[in-house]
Amino acid sequence: MSTIGLATRPRRAAASTLGLVLAAACLIGLAGCAADSDSGPDTSAAGSSPASATTGSSANFRDVAQIQADGTIRIGVFSDKAPFGSVDAQGDYVGYDIEYGNRIGQDLGVEVEYVPVEAASRVSFLETGKVDLILANFTVTAERAEKVDFLKPYMKVALGVASPESAPITDVAQLAGQKIIVVKGTTAETYLASQYPDYDVIKYDQYTEATSALLDGRGDAWVTDNTEALAWTTQNPGFVTGIASLGPADTIAGAVQKGNTDLAAWLNNELVDLGKEDFFHQDYELTLKSVYGDVVSPDELVVEGGQV
Amino acid sequence: MELSVLRAYLPAYLQAAEATLAIAGLGLVGSTLLGLVIAVAQYFRWPGARPVTAVYVELSRNTPLVVQLFFLYYGLPKLGLVWGSGVCAVVGLTFLGGSYMAEACRSGLEAVEPHQSQSALALGLGPGPALRHVVLPQALALATPAFTANAIFLIKETSVVSIIAYPDLVYVAKDYIGNDYNTSEALALLVAFYLVILLPVSLGAAAWERRLRHAGFGD
Repeated sequence: MSTIGLATRPRRAAASTLGLVLAAACLIGLAGCAADSDSGPDTSAAGSSPASATTGSSANFRDVAQIQADGTIRIGVFSDKAPFGSVDAQGDYVGYDIEYGNRIGQDLGVEVEYVPVEAASRVSFLETGKVDLILANFTVTAERAEKVDFLKPYMKVALGVASPESAPITDVAQLAGQKIIVVKGTTAETYLASQYPDYDVIKYDQYTEATSALLDGRGDAWVTDNTEALAWTTQNPGFVTGIASLGPADTIAGAVQKGNTDLAAWLNNELVDLGKEDFFHQDYELTLKSVYGDVVSPDELVVEGGQV
Repeated sequence: MELSVLRAYLPAYLQAAEATLAIAGLGLVGSTLLGLVIAVAQYFRWPGARPVTAVYVELSRNTPLVVQLFFLYYGLPKLGLVWGSGVCAVVGLTFLGGSYMAEACRSGLEAVEPHQSQSALALGLGPGPALRHVVLPQALALATPAFTANAIFLIKETSVVSIIAYPDLVYVAKDYIGNDYNTSEALALLVAFYLVILLPVSLGAAAWERRLRHAGFGD
């Protein structure tokens, strides 16, 4: 035992020391790498040259000519947020955002490849070039506009609060001391964090998880876009949208990677053209009317040609 | 990478690290106790122990923790049982870790020569004291490498509990990525915190294993 022990011990010690050194080197490398790339976005946010917009991970967007040459546009959409973007029983994407995406593909003359995204991953999917365009009920905010280029809006929205009929929340002050459910990366999360930092918020990654939690009584209210709250409470008996309009009125728009001005210009022209044929009112009739019925009039939600 | 951002995020990460350590610690204690009970039950061939534990071990080892957590958090309420995310996390980790710990203890117990327990019994020790004073000390020393590997595995497995809204390190990192879009800062801190938690555990485990090897005989 002793000879083997003596022979192996120093080697083991050396091995673990080596591991420690390597791990430390990786950490330093990571920090250094991130430091490099961050000096990039800060300076280029002013918008000098898209090619240097971000180092390493970026300048990886495709303009209109490249998308048409490749024959496919990749669009990031929700897969679990009916009636805006969801997957039906046949496995096909359906919803208000999808109708818009299909039309873009048609007018570009390319196939559409839908990529499912989570609310919190929408910006990173654009930044890393995983998608060309996000059409995922994306509310326009100043913080997001620093990271992505928004198109002209095609919907308008405020926040709404869904709660059980038995204990309805009808005023934002009632939320104090209650457990409030939100989806990570949504405007509801940001709004509550900035306006009511003391409120008790539980955050979920997915819409289905948030709604399950509300159904299971894990929270007293769910704060989300009023479009979503109204749609969900219409479909789920026992729950009401006690507050239909909370916080600032926002717009919803598509977004492309920062600096992809070519694609943005094409899409904005497309949006103005679609406005001339009242495309989004038809889209509303097709996908949203059955959900909202008489609760909402189309003009309260739909924006044509980017004219709010 | 903005140093001021890192500094601003630090308190939230520290709090989250505490939350991660809390479920990792409780899960580790729970799974060790569960594993020990199962291994001892198998060792003494308690009636019915083999089939029951075999089903549990296969179920636990062949389903991912994410699925177990989903079942506990989103499934059980349908049966009228609503547990908080912290309870679900600890129960899930215990359920997952218990089978790995049981296997570690079992291999340790089986590695102790049968004549050890036979000699102890022949010397007049009862089965309980024989286990406690003779077999277990040797078995646990032999099981230590497997035990520490399982511990590190379990600590790393805690990184999925944000799917049931438990505010661990990943949950906080996702917060900052989603709200402030400071992706590189949030991820760098995430890596750093897991390393700060796990490196000492790894190095401590290696040192402990070297020490325990002195207790071995005949090799």
